[in-house]
Amino acid sequence: MAFPHRPDAPELPDFSMLKRLARDQLIYLLEQLPGKKDLFIEADLMSPLDRIANVSILKQHEVDKLYKVESKPAVSSSEQLCFLVRPRIKNMRYIANLVNADKLAGRTRKYKVIFSPQKFYACEMVLEEEGIYGDVSCDEWAFSLLPLDVDLLSMELPEFFRDYFLEGDQRWINTVAQALHLLSTLYGPFPNCYGIGRCAKMSYELWRKLEDEEDGETKGRRPEIGHIFLLDRDMDFVTALCSQVVYEGLVDDTFRIKCGSVDFGPEVTSSDKSLKVLLNAEDKNGRALLLCCRYTGEAGRYKLQFCVRRRGMDIKQMKNFVSQELKGLKQEHRLLSLHIGACESIMKKKTKQDFQELIKTEHALLEGFNIRESTSYIEEHIDRQVSPIESLRLMCLLSITENGLIPKDYRSLKTQYLQSYGPEHLLTFSNLRRAGLLTEQAPGDTLTAVESKVSKLVTDKAAGKITDAFSSLAKRSNFRAISKKLNLIPRVDGEYDLKVPRDMAYVFSGAYVPLSCRIIEQVLERRSWQGLDEVVRLLNCSELAFTDMTKEDKASSESLRLILVVFLGGCTFSEISALRFLGREKGYRFIFLTTAVTNSARLMEAMSEVKA
Amino acid sequence: MGHRKYELYSMDWDLKEELRDCLVAAAPYGGPIALLRNPWRKEKAASVRPVLEIYSASGMPLASLLWKSGPVVSLGWSAEEELLCVQEDGVVLVYGLHGDFRRHFSMGNEVLQNRVLDARIFHTEFGSGVAILTGAHRFTLSANVGDLKLRRMPEVPGLQSAPSCWTTLCQDRVAHILLAVGPDLYLLDHAACSSVTPPGLAPGVSSFLQMAVSFTYRHLALFTDTGYIWMGTASLKEKLCEFNCNIRAPPKQMVWCSRPRSKERAVVVAWERRLMVVGDAPESIQFVLDEDSYLVPELDGVRIFSRSTHEFLHEVPVASEEIFKIASMAPGALLLEAQKEYEKESQKADEYLREIQELGQLTQAVQQCIEAAGHEHRPDMQKSLLRAASFGKCFLDRFPPDSFVRMCQDLRVLNAVRDYHIGIPLTYSQYKQLTIQVLLDRLVLRRLYPLAIQICEYLRLPEVQGVSRILAHWACYKVQQKDVSDEDVARAINQKLGDTPGVSYSDIAARAYGCGRTELAIKLLEYEPRSGEQVPLLLKMKRSKLALSKAIESGDTDLVFTVLLHLKNELNRGDFFMTLRNQPMALSLYRQFCKYQELETLKDLYNQDDNHQELGSFHIRASYAAEERIEGRVAALQTAADAFYKAKNEFAAKATEDQMRLLRLQRRLEDELGGRFLDLSLHDTVTTLILGGHNKRAEQLARDFRIPDKRLWWLKLTALADLEDWEELEKFSKSKKSPIGYLPFVEICMKQHNKYEAKKYTSRVGPEQKVKALLLVGDVAQAADVAIEHRNEAELSLVLSHCTGATDGATADKIQRARAQAQKK
Repeated sequence: MAFPHRPDAPELPDFSMLKRLARDQLIYLLEQLPGKKDLFIEADLMSPLDRIANVSILKQHEVDKLYKVESKPAVSSSEQLCFLVRPRIKNMRYIANLVNADKLAGRTRKYKVIFSPQKFYACEMVLEEEGIYGDVSCDEWAFSLLPLDVDLLSMELPEFFRDYFLEGDQRWINTVAQALHLLSTLYGPFPNCYGIGRCAKMSYELWRKLEDEEDGETKGRRPEIGHIFLLDRDMDFVTALCSQVVYEGLVDDTFRIKCGSVDFGPEVTSSDKSLKVLLNAEDKNGRALLLCCRYTGEAGRYKLQFCVRRRGMDIKQMKNFVSQELKGLKQEHRLLSLHIGACESIMKKKTKQDFQELIKTEHALLEGFNIRESTSYIEEHIDRQVSPIESLRLMCLLSITENGLIPKDYRSLKTQYLQSYGPEHLLTFSNLRRAGLLTEQAPGDTLTAVESKVSKLVTDKAAGKITDAFSSLAKRSNFRAISKKLNLIPRVDGEYDLKVPRDMAYVFSGAYVPLSCRIIEQVLERRSWQGLDEVVRLLNCSELAFTDMTKEDKASSESLRLILVVFLGGCTFSEISALRFLGREKGYRFIFLTTAVTNSARLMEAMSEVKA
Repeated sequence: MGHRKYELYSMDWDLKEELRDCLVAAAPYGGPIALLRNPWRKEKAASVRPVLEIYSASGMPLASLLWKSGPVVSLGWSAEEELLCVQEDGVVLVYGLHGDFRRHFSMGNEVLQNRVLDARIFHTEFGSGVAILTGAHRFTLSANVGDLKLRRMPEVPGLQSAPSCWTTLCQDRVAHILLAVGPDLYLLDHAACSSVTPPGLAPGVSSFLQMAVSFTYRHLALFTDTGYIWMGTASLKEKLCEFNCNIRAPPKQMVWCSRPRSKERAVVVAWERRLMVVGDAPESIQFVLDEDSYLVPELDGVRIFSRSTHEFLHEVPVASEEIFKIASMAPGALLLEAQKEYEKESQKADEYLREIQELGQLTQAVQQCIEAAGHEHRPDMQKSLLRAASFGKCFLDRFPPDSFVRMCQDLRVLNAVRDYHIGIPLTYSQYKQLTIQVLLDRLVLRRLYPLAIQICEYLRLPEVQGVSRILAHWACYKVQQKDVSDEDVARAINQKLGDTPGVSYSDIAARAYGCGRTELAIKLLEYEPRSGEQVPLLLKMKRSKLALSKAIESGDTDLVFTVLLHLKNELNRGDFFMTLRNQPMALSLYRQFCKYQELETLKDLYNQDDNHQELGSFHIRASYAAEERIEGRVAALQTAADAFYKAKNEFAAKATEDQMRLLRLQRRLEDELGGRFLDLSLHDTVTTLILGGHNKRAEQLARDFRIPDKRLWWLKLTALADLEDWEELEKFSKSKKSPIGYLPFVEICMKQHNKYEAKKYTSRVGPEQKVKALLLVGDVAQAADVAIEHRNEAELSLVLSHCTGATDGATADKIQRARAQAQKK
C-alpha cells in the first residue's frame, strides 16, 4: 500500500464469520421449504446475496429458478415459491397479487416469505389486509452485516437515510441495535463507547437494553474491539456533499460502486462488454492489486490540478510499478488494465475545465470566501441544466456552509431550479428543508436563544409538538464556527504534496479535513467529549453526545487500538480513507460499520421527488 | 420378609369424629389430608352441615369450610395437589390446598341422570383422572381432568347390581376398568368388555371383596370371600404369589406395599382393628390397630394415619437391612461398628476396619452407610451413619466425594420439609422421584416462600429456576391480599424482588389485573424494565395511551404499530388523530404506512393538524401521480396553491400557480403545434419551441414567465448550436450585449467541432477570459501574446501547459522570456 501500516498496528478481527453465519441461516431457511422451489429476490438484495451465497449454493438447496421481484408479474411453474425481500409494503403488494392470482385460477402452491433483515408488523398487516396472511409462511433472515472489506461492514440499507433523517421513521434503529448486539456477542463487549446524534443515542440505548436483557453472555469475555463510536449522518452533511477525489470515491462518484463491486462499461473495458469487478479483494494477491489501485488513485487525484501534462507519466510510473511489483501475477494484469482504463475514463471526465471550476467553487464554499461568485456559479450551473443532482448538491453545500441561504438567493435559486428541472421539485425542496439540508437564513442573531431552547425540546423524547419549521430551525449548521473551532481548513504554506499526506485533509486535496473524522479524532484523543462543549453546542447536540466507559479494564492494549465507527445514515469512501490515514498515523485500526456506503449523489437522490 | 413401621408424627389435629364417619382423601408424596365431616347427613341444620377440612400430613389445619354444595360421593387429590370433590350429580368441584375454590366441571348428562354411585380419582402419566360408576352400573371416565374428555365405557353384559369391587388400571397409556361381579372379572377398555380370569386362582371363589393396584399400575391383588389373596401382574397374565389369611370378613382397605425395583411383593390389608402384611412368605406380619386408621399408598410403602398418629410402613431397604440385621457381618455394619469403637477410643475400631479392608470392601461399606442414611427417618440415625461413612472415607484414596455431599444436602432438605410445621413426610426415594423442582412448587403452593428460598440458596440453584421463580410466586400471592393498599403491595414487592433476574413484573401485574386490581397492575408495570413487556397488558387493561408511550419508549416500532392499530379501532378518528399528534414518533410511523396503504387517511391527518404545507405537497404529488386528465391536474394544483397560501408559503403557492399556467399552455401548444409538451419543465418547453423553429412563441413564453436573460441566452445558445444554425446564432449574438459573455459561444462551437464559427467570437470575449478562449480555438501564439500583455503569471502557466511539441517551441520561449523580464522588474 502507498502508506503501510505501522508495525505495531493491531490485527483486525475476522469478519468472514459474519458471512458464514448469514449463509448458514439462509440455507437453514431454504431447507425449511423442502423440495424444488423458485426463488424471487428483491433487486436490492441481489448484490448482497451474491456476496453471501452464489447460485450454485442456492441450487444445492433445491432452488430451481431465480426471479427478480419487480413490477411485472413473473410466470413460475413451481409448486413452491419463496420470496426473499426487504420488509417493504410495496413487496407485500407484489406477493399478494401473485397469490391472489393463483387463488383466482384455483391453484394452490406453497409460499414462503423471507424478510431480511427482519420483518415488520406493518408488512404482516398488509398481507392480512390483502387476505393472504394464512397462505404464506413468514421467516426472518437476520442478515444485517455484510463485510465489504476487511475493515468495512455495511448493513446495505440505503433507505435508512431517507427513512430516519427525512421521514422520522425509527424502525431501522432496532436493526442497528441488533447488529451491534451481534458484534458484541461475536467479538466481545466494547469497553469504551462514544456517540453523537439523536439516532446514535437511541441506537446505543436500545442496544444496551438488548445486552442487559440477555445478560451473562458477553460478560467476562475479553473485548476484541476497544472503542465504539456512533455518529449520525446529519452531524456532518458537508463531507458527504463534497466531490470525492480519492480513488474509490472517484470510482463511486463516476461508476457507482454497488455492494463492493463496480460495473465497468465499454468505455473502460475497451471492448463492447461491461465487466463486473470486485473493488476489494480479500486474498493476498488481491491486496497487492488494491495497493496498486490506491497508488493510481493518488496519482489520479494529484492530476486534478496538473492533469493533462502529467498523465502519461503517471500511467507509465504505474506500469513500471506493476511490472516490478506484480511480477508473475499474470492474472492480475487483466484486472489492472481495467483499473487503468477506469482511471483514464475518470480523468477524461474530470479534467475538463468544468470540473476544475467545480472543485474551485466547492473549496471556496468550504473556506467561505467569494460567496457571491459561488452563488452565480451555481445559478449558471442550474441555468445550463448541467445535472439536476449536481445543482442540488451545490445548493445544499452553499446552504449548510452559510447557515442557510439569504432569502433572495433562496427564492431565486429555487425558481431557477424549478424552471430547469420541473415543478415536482417543489417537493424536493420541502424535503431538503425538513432535513435541514437547504434552508433559508433566519434574520437576526436572537436565534441562538431560541435555538438552544428548541434543541432541548428536540432531545426530549416525549416532546413532539415541534413543527417542521422549528425543527429545521434547530438544525442550524453553524459550519463556519465549527470549522474555525476544529481547524478544518488547514493553512497551506505552498503546495500541498499529495504524495506525502500530512493530515486527513489529503482526501480533499488538502483543502478540508472531513468534519466527521475530525470529531472522531478529537474525542478519541480526549477519551471523552470534555473540552468539546462548544463544538457539541454548535452541532445542536448538547444532550446528544455521550460517553460510556466500563471501569473494569480487561481490554488488552491491542484491542484498545481497534475502533469501531458506526455511521448512521451512511459514510463515504473519503471518510473511510481519511480515518484509515488517521489510523496509520496513530497506530490505530478503524473498523467501519455503515448503514450503507453513500456519496453526494445518493444523498440527493434520497431527498428528490421523482415522477413515477 | 423385612418390613418396618415408624412414626412420622403424632397428629396435632383435634378430631371430634372418628375417621370412619368422614370421607377421607390423602394425597401421595406426603401430601395433605382432606376430611369431609357429616357427608351423609341430609338435614339442613347449619350445625350438622358437612364441613370440609384440609390438614397437612402432620395434622396442621390448612383450611376449613362449610360445605354448601350438593352431596359428595368421593374426594381425591390431583397430581397438582388440587382437591377434587365428586358430587352425586356428577359435578366435580375443584379446590386449592387452602380451600380456595378453583373451578368445577361436570362428568356429563348420563352421570347427572343416573347419579354417581361410586367414584375414584387416579393418576396416570397424563395427569389425574376421574372414574365414575353410575346408578345404571355404567362407567364414565376422564383420564385427565386438566384436559377434560369424557369417555363412556362399554356396558357389562347382564350386569344387574353394582360390582362387588372395581378399580382403574392403566396399561399402554390407556385407562381401563377392572370390575368383579360374583365370581367373574371383567376388563373394560374403550371398545369392549372382556371377561378375564387370573391365572392360578384358587378354586372355590364365589366373589371378590377387594382389589388393589400397585402405585405404578404394575401389580394387582385380589381378595376373595374365602380369605384368599391372589397377587399377580396387572395384565392378569402372570401370578406372582398367593396367600390365605383365613379371614373372610371384607377388609376395609387393601394396598400394595413395595419399593421400586424390589423383588419382594407385599400387600397390606386392613380391617377394623387389624393390619396384616402378606407376601410370598408363608407367614404374615400382623399389627394390632388401636384406632380407626386410614392407609395411603406411596411409591415405596404405605402411610397409615389415625386420630392420634401418622406412621410409615415399608419394606426395609437392603442397605439398612444389611447394616442393622442382628449380628450382621456386612461391610457397612462393620464400618458403623468401627466408627462407634473409634469414638470410644477403643482399638477395636482398628480391628473392624482391618477386617473390612482385608476383604477389600471398604468402598462398598462407605456406600452402604451413605445409602442407609438416606432411608433413615431420624436425624440421629442419619448422622451416625454419615459419620461412619465419613470415617470410612478417610481410609480410601480415591472415593469421589459427591455422593456423600449430595446425600448430606438431600437429607438436610428432607429433614426441613419433614418438620412438623411443614408436614411433608417425604422419603428419600419419593423425593428423588418427585424432583426438587416439584418439591419447591409444593412449598410455594403451601405459601412456604421463605423455606423454599432457603432451599434454593442452600442448593445453589440458578436464580431463574430457583429464587426468582419463588419470589415471583410470592408476589403473585401478595397481589391477592385485598386488604393491603396498592401502594404498599407494590412497594413490598419491589423491595423484595428488586432487579432479581428472571422475575417478570409484567406477569405479576397480569395476576394483579386478573384479581381486578388495575391500578396495582399499572404500578407494578412501572417496575418492569422491558417496556415491550408492559405493552400487551396495558392494552388488555384498556390503557392504550399509556401503552403507546411505553411502546415508544421501548424503541420497538413494531410494538408501536401494534398499539396504533389497537388505538385506531378503539378510538374514533378524531381522538385517534389527536393522540398521534402528541406522539411524533408514532405519527411518522403511521404516516409512512398511510403513504403506501391509505392515502386518504394521510390527507385527513394533515387536515387535522392544519399542516397546510404538507397538505400542499400532498396535492402536488397527486397532480402528477394520481390525476390523469389535465383538468384534474390543474384542480389538484389549485388546491395545493390554496394550501400553500394558508401555510404562508407564498413562494410555493406562486410556483404552483405558474405550473398551472404552464400546464394549460403546454396543452394548448400540443393542440396547436403537435408534439409533446406536457410535463416538460419551463426551460425544456422553451428549448423545444426553439428547436421546432417557433422562435416567436419561445420569446413570448420567456416574457410571460419572466425567464431571466441569462437563462434565455444559455438556452438559446445551446438550442441553436444543437440545430447547428450558425447563422441564427450569429444574429442572436449580435442582438444585444450578451449577459453571459462570449466565452460560452466559443465553447459551444468547439463542442460542435466548428473552429471556424468559434473564432468569430474570440475577439468579443472579455479580456479576463480571452486567453482561455484563444486556447480553446487552439491559437496558442495569440494566447501567449495576450497573457504577456496581461502580465498574468497564472495565465502564462496555463498557456505554457498548452505548448506541445516543436510547433509551439517559439511561443514557449517567448513566454519564458517574458517571465524572466517580469522577474527582473
